[in-house]
Amino acid sequence: MLLPSFLHLLLCLVGLLGVAHASNANDKRVEDFFERNESPTSSHTNNWAVLVCSSRYWFNYRHMANALGMYRTVKRLGIPDSNIILMLADDASCNQRNKFPGSVYAHPDRQLDLYGDNIEVDYRGYEVTVENLIRVLTGRMDPSVPRSKRLLTDERSNIFVYLTGHGGNEFLKFQDKEEISAFDLADAFEQMHQKKRYNEILFMADTCQANTLFSQFYSPNILATGSSGLGENSYSHTNDNDIGVAVIDAYTHFVLEYMENINKTSDNSLQDLFSTVATKKLGSNPGVRTDLFGRPLAKTRITDFFGNVAQVEVLPPTGHLQTSANDEEDSYLASSDMDNKQPSLPHNLTSEQSLPPSDAPWWSSLSLLIQDWGKTRAWVAVGSLGLCLAWTLSS
Amino acid sequence: MEHKQPSLLTRLKHKIRGSGDVNTKRVQRRLALKRTLTDKLPKIIFCLFATGYLWMLLIPFPHLGRTTYIDENALQPSQVNTYWDWADVHIADQYLGLLEQIRDGNYTSKERAEWLNMEFLKLGLTSSTQSYTFLSPVTGVNGTNAYAILPSARHSGTEAMVISASWLSRVDEGAGTVNIRGVSFVIALARFLKRYSYWAKDIIFVVSDGYLDGMQAWLGAYHGIQQKGLEREPLQHSSGVIWTALNIDYPGHSFSNLGIFFEGINGRLPNQDLINSLERIARYTAGVPVTLYDHIDPRENSLVNVEYAWVPRFLYSNPIIKAYIIRARNILRQLKYQATGRGSGVHGLFHQHRIDAITIFGLPAQGPHGFHAIGKTVESTLRTMNNLLERLHASFFFYIMAERGWFLKIGHYLPSAILISVAMMFQGLRKWVDAGWIEVDGTEKSDPSRVWVRRTRPVLPVLAIMILTHMSGLVLFVSLSSTWLSTNTYWLAYPFLVLFAAGIYVLFSKQTFARPNEAPLSLTLKALNLCFASTVISIIAVLNFSLSASLAIILGIPLSVSSSKGSTLSRLVRYLTYTYLSIGWRLHAPALAKQLLWNWHVLGVWLAPFVCIVYVPIVMQAGISCIID
Amino acid sequence: MLERLNTKQSSSLASSTLPNLPLTLLALGSLKIWIALTDVYDALKRSQELSSPMSSYSQLQEGIYLFEHGINPYSGGSVRHSPLLLSLFTTLFPKSRRAASVFWALSDVLGAWILVQIWRARQNVKGGWRDTLVAASYLLNPYLFLPSLALSTSTLENTLILATILLACRGRAAPSLLLLAFSTHLSLNSLVILIPVVLLLLSDPHSHLASPQPSKATLKRIGALIGTFVFYIFVLGSISTLVVNNLSWIPQTWGATLTLPDLQPNTGLWWYFFTEMFDHFRPFFLMVFTTHLLIYVAPISIKFQYDPLYATFILLGILGTFKPYATLSDPGLFFSMIAIFPEIYSYLRHPIVTALLHLHAGLLMPLFNHIWLSQGTGNANFFYATTLVFACANAAGLVDCIWAGMRLAIGQSGDKFEVVQE
Repeated sequence: MLLPSFLHLLLCLVGLLGVAHASNANDKRVEDFFERNESPTSSHTNNWAVLVCSSRYWFNYRHMANALGMYRTVKRLGIPDSNIILMLADDASCNQRNKFPGSVYAHPDRQLDLYGDNIEVDYRGYEVTVENLIRVLTGRMDPSVPRSKRLLTDERSNIFVYLTGHGGNEFLKFQDKEEISAFDLADAFEQMHQKKRYNEILFMADTCQANTLFSQFYSPNILATGSSGLGENSYSHTNDNDIGVAVIDAYTHFVLEYMENINKTSDNSLQDLFSTVATKKLGSNPGVRTDLFGRPLAKTRITDFFGNVAQVEVLPPTGHLQTSANDEEDSYLASSDMDNKQPSLPHNLTSEQSLPPSDAPWWSSLSLLIQDWGKTRAWVAVGSLGLCLAWTLSS
Repeated sequence: MEHKQPSLLTRLKHKIRGSGDVNTKRVQRRLALKRTLTDKLPKIIFCLFATGYLWMLLIPFPHLGRTTYIDENALQPSQVNTYWDWADVHIADQYLGLLEQIRDGNYTSKERAEWLNMEFLKLGLTSSTQSYTFLSPVTGVNGTNAYAILPSARHSGTEAMVISASWLSRVDEGAGTVNIRGVSFVIALARFLKRYSYWAKDIIFVVSDGYLDGMQAWLGAYHGIQQKGLEREPLQHSSGVIWTALNIDYPGHSFSNLGIFFEGINGRLPNQDLINSLERIARYTAGVPVTLYDHIDPRENSLVNVEYAWVPRFLYSNPIIKAYIIRARNILRQLKYQATGRGSGVHGLFHQHRIDAITIFGLPAQGPHGFHAIGKTVESTLRTMNNLLERLHASFFFYIMAERGWFLKIGHYLPSAILISVAMMFQGLRKWVDAGWIEVDGTEKSDPSRVWVRRTRPVLPVLAIMILTHMSGLVLFVSLSSTWLSTNTYWLAYPFLVLFAAGIYVLFSKQTFARPNEAPLSLTLKALNLCFASTVISIIAVLNFSLSASLAIILGIPLSVSSSKGSTLSRLVRYLTYTYLSIGWRLHAPALAKQLLWNWHVLGVWLAPFVCIVYVPIVMQAGISCIID
Repeated sequence: MLERLNTKQSSSLASSTLPNLPLTLLALGSLKIWIALTDVYDALKRSQELSSPMSSYSQLQEGIYLFEHGINPYSGGSVRHSPLLLSLFTTLFPKSRRAASVFWALSDVLGAWILVQIWRARQNVKGGWRDTLVAASYLLNPYLFLPSLALSTSTLENTLILATILLACRGRAAPSLLLLAFSTHLSLNSLVILIPVVLLLLSDPHSHLASPQPSKATLKRIGALIGTFVFYIFVLGSISTLVVNNLSWIPQTWGATLTLPDLQPNTGLWWYFFTEMFDHFRPFFLMVFTTHLLIYVAPISIKFQYDPLYATFILLGILGTFKPYATLSDPGLFFSMIAIFPEIYSYLRHPIVTALLHLHAGLLMPLFNHIWLSQGTGNANFFYATTLVFACANAAGLVDCIWAGMRLAIGQSGDKFEVVQE
């Protein structure tokens, strides 16, 4: 067990060293080698997305549309549903007030139904809580939670985290009930880092004062961006006069608009995305935080986070690594299987069945007793009260 | 040298407290304060009165208050396309034609309601009628309501909103003008709204009979409230909790403005968000100018830019004074509706069941608006009301609407009445102190100066008098509202009231309760009377500011100046003046008195019992304090 | 109500004009029964100022119903009345609403009669014209009248407490302590008056306010009486356990007083505070609030050790102001008891202010309750503000009575000096 992980670490170190070397740019030859084929690469092997709409109610339609717009985009760029955790605090599509039942549109022309017919919401309604978001991120899950609701990332995963809702200075409101603070998020990411649950994270927030949400981050390899600065509101982009509410927020709208021209093979960098969005009329100043992120933005491709475009590493068939990886996978599966089995149905049933027999006689005997003797006991009580009083008065 | 210098703090202390015994100083300080307060009290009371009355005059001032705004996020007013179009207007016109035949065809209200019921049934709505009879000792009424329910397509029907129209219009307070376009619009609207499936609440259409009585019977039945003197059928169909209601009043051929009426029963006001939403929707979606009541702003419409004869021209041309006059007119209207407690229309009845409701009134004119504009307004307002997730609660419930889009918060107007009430309280407390002390010649030979000695106050007899007056107020109320006195023999009011006044006079004037070393009854009675009146004014202020302000105006000065000094004749004159102030309304406005009683019996407006059991006795107490020793 | 403080001034109202005690009780009692038999109960039964979850008649009825159907009434969260009350109502006491109304009215008449007896014991008189005033002050006090119409069990508690005091005045230790234990079972807060009642048993009820002297009670005798009290508590506890068949009544009755599970608004100061509080502060502030009630016992008992009846009276006033689940009847008892201490009247500093505060609070409370819960235009802060006014009114009366009780010892002031409080 120790040896494989040591080897793993070594591999990572080598990779990191390589990158560090390149950025130091002393050795022209090395740099050339690494940039020979294409721009600097991310070393991730899989992509995940966590998309959260934290506000409910009909008039927050646009937040649902924001999250669903992102969902559509990451899915279009190749991240499968199994790798997307979509949290929607309300179901705008089935709201009674929706003139177009079963659909969510982000534009008044209503060309594109974001709800479509192939959508998988992992957490919905009152399941969208601060606790659940942090559990998803950190992976501290009850064994009974199905795999589809888990963020099964590893140290080679690139994660796109998108939050939308009503926010304030260093917090984001969940369902008018609770808030997640910038510190909570920062600590959750640090825990992910320590548990080796990510390679790189792109954090994006479209809320009021969104940039304050990532102000407390301190873990490495996180690139964070938000729609508005401290004290600024994020505005909605457009209304649909048939739906009767604002249908999308400005920041998300322009991000998605840009993303429409991106496909899986696109080489556009995040710098392109950010600088394009910054030129749009938002009513707020979007911010980007790069100090924790190791790579230059101009050389970080959008598809590193938005698409399922990963490096494929063909490792030499050295028996050790191969078997160790398999072992890990197997053991993981085995353990999760066991986890799943733990609270399996028969077990539960037996525990429930075992309770009543021990309980029922006690209750029935008590109730029988009360039925038979209740009145008598009351009379005895009153009698003894009277006795007490008579005795005290006579003494 | 330095350490002998006392510290700054010590010196300051000395300066403030002086030297010497601390307790003596404290007693002296306290006495000085008391003396100053006692000396200055008349001035303080005067200032309070003056500020209070001046504040009342300032309420219409254009710089007081602020513009209205929408507070509830969920409402999203004026953000939808409306689909009410000319075809729907045509249908409304067809219904209008049918209704005109019914109006002119001498139908009974039962037949009329049946016809409406049939029309609703033809539309496929759940519909029924409800007959009712009010057995009021003043004037009994009966009629039949028709109502229909459009269930929400995709919701459980636990919430509802109401579109209503009374058969009689508010134009002449239900004297006979038929709200004919209002009713035909409601049917056409029902037909129109049925097409859409996005209603999150049931929509109830009510065409109530009469002016106020029909809706009172319908609402009572809907909420399962038993009312004395009302015989009504139960409702066959019911829906969920009603949150909001719009009452349509459109009697004329066309209208120039949409007037908003909002005051409810017993002075309750609807949440301001409802008024503000409608105002914005009418303005932006339908393009109809909105106004308060049926007042057309002379600044917007030159046709009605009439000048008041009593306002000099140069004053009226001043924009501030013009705005003041316009606002004062609106505020006085609100004062009238609130203080009488009757509300300003059918919507007011909803308020007693915690439903926020307003009346949209099409101001009769030669144009330019009609069914098209009112349809667009109501459709869009319904979409806004449909968006509600909880009862309206965010905006204001306590306000004065000065003009369209401008209001005064509670803090801007409430202090006026409270200041007067405080002045009365101070005056009462002063009399209380006066009653407790008397200045007599010094007993000691060596000290001939006059000294103050305490005397007892006859509290129990005074309380007995006060309770007695309130009891006689109750008797007055019961007898006034008895069928015999209120319906048949109106002329009996005069001898009755003379008897009432004389009885009280005889009861108290000849009595001498005065005992040595006891304060005169009149002084103690005046003290407690002022304190009680002040309490009543300040407490009513939160419930119904207009009533409280009226009481402050009527009672403030008069109660403060009552006194038992002077000749018997002048005391008698004063007594009669107070008697006139207390029950004179019965002689001058028998019709008003009759209506107040009707309001109490049919609508549950508590002004009539309040006047008889609280107001009349309070003024009578002041009168008694003039004739008693 | 406080106007009645000044009854002394009208003492020269001839005694012949006032009817004697039995006649007064009969007249006022029949008036009360007559009003109680109308439908006024239906209008008042839900009033939160008149009955709290601890004293509501409808909850008592539910308890009786559950008990009679063989269901443990204390297994749910709605019944908070003592099992002793349940046993009495399932056996001896009337169950129908109208019979209960009569029973409550009779309990009030009994309370008035006891109050008159206490007054006689204190003044050492055999009767007189003031009997009528004392009885009227109990029967016509709106703070006692209305809860009695609403069938709040606090009416019965008040009668019990008065009976305890009367028996203590007469030196009957055993029944007095038994009744006190009984009222402690009905409402745990009655524990507050244990010490002064014990002191009262060891001295006499006469007024010693004018001549303070140390109490002659020894710790040993006090200890013995407290021991007796604890014994009665235990006996009654055993009876309660017998009625319920288990101990589940303890957390539902006494526990509810201590942990405040039901946050329905009432006239007291607790409910709003605990609705606003974060859950993790709750235990701490429950402890603080409960201890706060007990804090007054020692100083009042020590200060007024020469007149334990007065100490009892003051502590009842403190209870009426600060107890959890307070209703109007708690301060009502305090204000009616003022009638038996006429010697303090001339030393009261601001009876008119107290009376006016009560007038405002008494009118504002139902009004703001209506504005908040029926009309929907106000919110909880409105009602909370009036409970603050009410607390001020109670505190004003209380402070004035404490002042007058102590000031009495100095005597009437002349022109040349003034008494100040350090």
